[in-house]
Amino acid sequence: MASLAFSSSLLLSSPPSNFSPPSLSPLPSRFSFSHSSALSSSLSITPSPLTYPKSSKRFALSALSVKASAAEKKKVLIVNTNSGGHAVIGFYFAKQLLGSGHDVTILTVGEESSDKMKKPPFNRFSEIVSGGGKTVWGDPAEVGKVVGGAAFDVVLDNNGKDLDAVRSVTVTGPKIGPRVLVVKQFLFISSAGIYKPTEEPPHVEGDVVKADAGHVGVEKYIAEVYGSWAIFRPQYMIGSGNNKDCEEWFFDRIVRDRPVPIPGSGMQLTNIAHVRDLSSMLTLAVEKPDAANSRIFNCVSDRAVTLDGMAKLCAQAAGRPVNIVHYDPKAVGIDAKKAFPFRNMHFYAEPRAAKEILGWHATTNLSEDLKERFDEYVKIGRDKKPIKFEIDDKILESLKVLVAV
Amino acid sequence: MTGEDGKTSGIEKFDGTDFGYWKMQIEDYVWYKFATGAHKYDYEEKKNVMILVKEGFLVYQEFIKYSKMMYLDGDIQVYENIDEVFDLPDGHFYAVNSLCSSAGVYLKTDLPPHYEVDAVDPKSRHKGKLETESLLKSRGVNWTSLRPVYIYGPLNYNPVEEWFFHRLKAGRPIPIPNSGIQITQLGHVKDLARAFVQVLGNEKASKQVFNISGEKYVTFDGLARACAKAGGFPEPEIIHFNPKEFDFGKKKAFPFRDQHFFASIDKAKSVLGWKPEFDLVEGLADSYNLDFGRGTFRKEADFSTDDLILGKSLVLQS
Repeated sequence: MASLAFSSSLLLSSPPSNFSPPSLSPLPSRFSFSHSSALSSSLSITPSPLTYPKSSKRFALSALSVKASAAEKKKVLIVNTNSGGHAVIGFYFAKQLLGSGHDVTILTVGEESSDKMKKPPFNRFSEIVSGGGKTVWGDPAEVGKVVGGAAFDVVLDNNGKDLDAVRSVTVTGPKIGPRVLVVKQFLFISSAGIYKPTEEPPHVEGDVVKADAGHVGVEKYIAEVYGSWAIFRPQYMIGSGNNKDCEEWFFDRIVRDRPVPIPGSGMQLTNIAHVRDLSSMLTLAVEKPDAANSRIFNCVSDRAVTLDGMAKLCAQAAGRPVNIVHYDPKAVGIDAKKAFPFRNMHFYAEPRAAKEILGWHATTNLSEDLKERFDEYVKIGRDKKPIKFEIDDKILESLKVLVAV
Repeated sequence: MTGEDGKTSGIEKFDGTDFGYWKMQIEDYVWYKFATGAHKYDYEEKKNVMILVKEGFLVYQEFIKYSKMMYLDGDIQVYENIDEVFDLPDGHFYAVNSLCSSAGVYLKTDLPPHYEVDAVDPKSRHKGKLETESLLKSRGVNWTSLRPVYIYGPLNYNPVEEWFFHRLKAGRPIPIPNSGIQITQLGHVKDLARAFVQVLGNEKASKQVFNISGEKYVTFDGLARACAKAGGFPEPEIIHFNPKEFDFGKKKAFPFRDQHFFASIDKAKSVLGWKPEFDLVEGLADSYNLDFGRGTFRKEADFSTDDLILGKSLVLQS
């Protein structure tokens, strides 16, 4: 059911089965497309027959992906954020696609010379280039200009946190030239953080989301504008090239024999996946666009871990003991968001749609994966790096005070 | 207990009403079956009793220590589905092709949920069920094992929802150990019954284990609130307590194990095409409306452990 993004039938189609966008006022007339034939004659659109591998593959490791044949080869554009926990997704996905023989361009927001590009995964983008991919920098609002006005089979937007950011990537009108992007399948990285907190976990696709969350507006917009789309809601991830600390937060304390301060009871559940699982889910969606169409997928592993559990697993991976200290952020007078890298509440989604609809399987094995992560942590010398633990010290100090009374 | 003559006569007349009378009849029948059969039945072990609800008719099922005997409701009659007779050191038992096991057999994990492939705990108090599973496997017969988490529903012998309903009805606070965010999982007995029915004669179920429970899990605090909603009670006062500060003797202060305990039902859904019909509040309301709400329950309210807890927390407040 892949269709060009600006097919007029899109706007009038009934909502997809598991995602009902609320009724919105009609979109501006620039979306009414009498120009499609004109467009197709001015832009070179590579005809690619929509054949997909018949057998379903288990994506145990990205390296085992089957090479795409000429008929299956896709031209993929990844629009990537320049910072934050999701940045590594684009890096991994690009490498996996290249390994499978697809054509990949990754557009990172901002400037190549920016300081942000000195951090992982950006400082490893040479791996994408040597894999045959193109790396470009720019403003997503100028995407057509930046990527040369090309047509793509797939666009993965791993950047747009709000409607303005995403709108600029989508087709913005009948004008031909640098501002137009032709897209068959639009994939969007949203966030499982938009689910409304519940006393009945897990968060499952279709559950109520927070109406005011930025990603929610984007999800609704995408559902209206694209003929073939899929939305992915991740939680936390680990993996080489991560831009944001995850397991490192625990390692920092464990290797320095410092207590690990965890807010609340430590029983809060979270979901930490290896980024290869997120990537394999995206890859399956690219290979099964009909199955993935109009679907929302929780892009997470299929196991939970408690906050205490994560501390213990990190310690086991490091081969060291761990001293977990629980505290009440309010009593101590600190903002838990600044003190601790995970949400101070149950935050647990399950990847039920991906398993059921894409035949996806999780491979994350935290016990094993954290060992690999720890090895790298030591290899880059982070265990020796001098770190200040100001907030930790404040927490520990206040706990001593409470105990003394 | 009055022993019947062992025939199933009478039970087929059960029309879904007068549970008080029929419960006794069915109980007698089941007891008699075991007492006069070669099977050794320990009446004290009458713990894992499961009530099947099908089309408004209730059939009382008894799951005993080795959980081997099962009576499934066809239309109205109780029938047995016996494959083979096995010998065990303590006596004979009748093996059926469906075994009501328990998610309690899983080894405690840091990475929930429990999946069917996960390690089991040979020391668990449900090890009898594990032994049965092994035995069935070794005999090469067609078998299926279903592992529920916590079963609830009308006529539930195990005071799961009943425990909350007693307190809600009495207008008492609900004492919940530690943080109250421990996650558990309930499955309506009718959904479990449907799973059993779907397993019978189903090739895909042969020699397989399936977790059977509700779609969603629930925190302890959330469960208290769900029971209140189900019974039309106002939102309850919840008191958290530290169990280590009390000596409850042999009594249980709370009906659930104080840890996260939940299992994924993905396999049953994808392999059997089964899925639970009841969501939590709906299912609890069903239980309330058909049982506790009509004035029936299995165990009298016992608030002695509650009073210990409440007594101490009153002291702390002053």
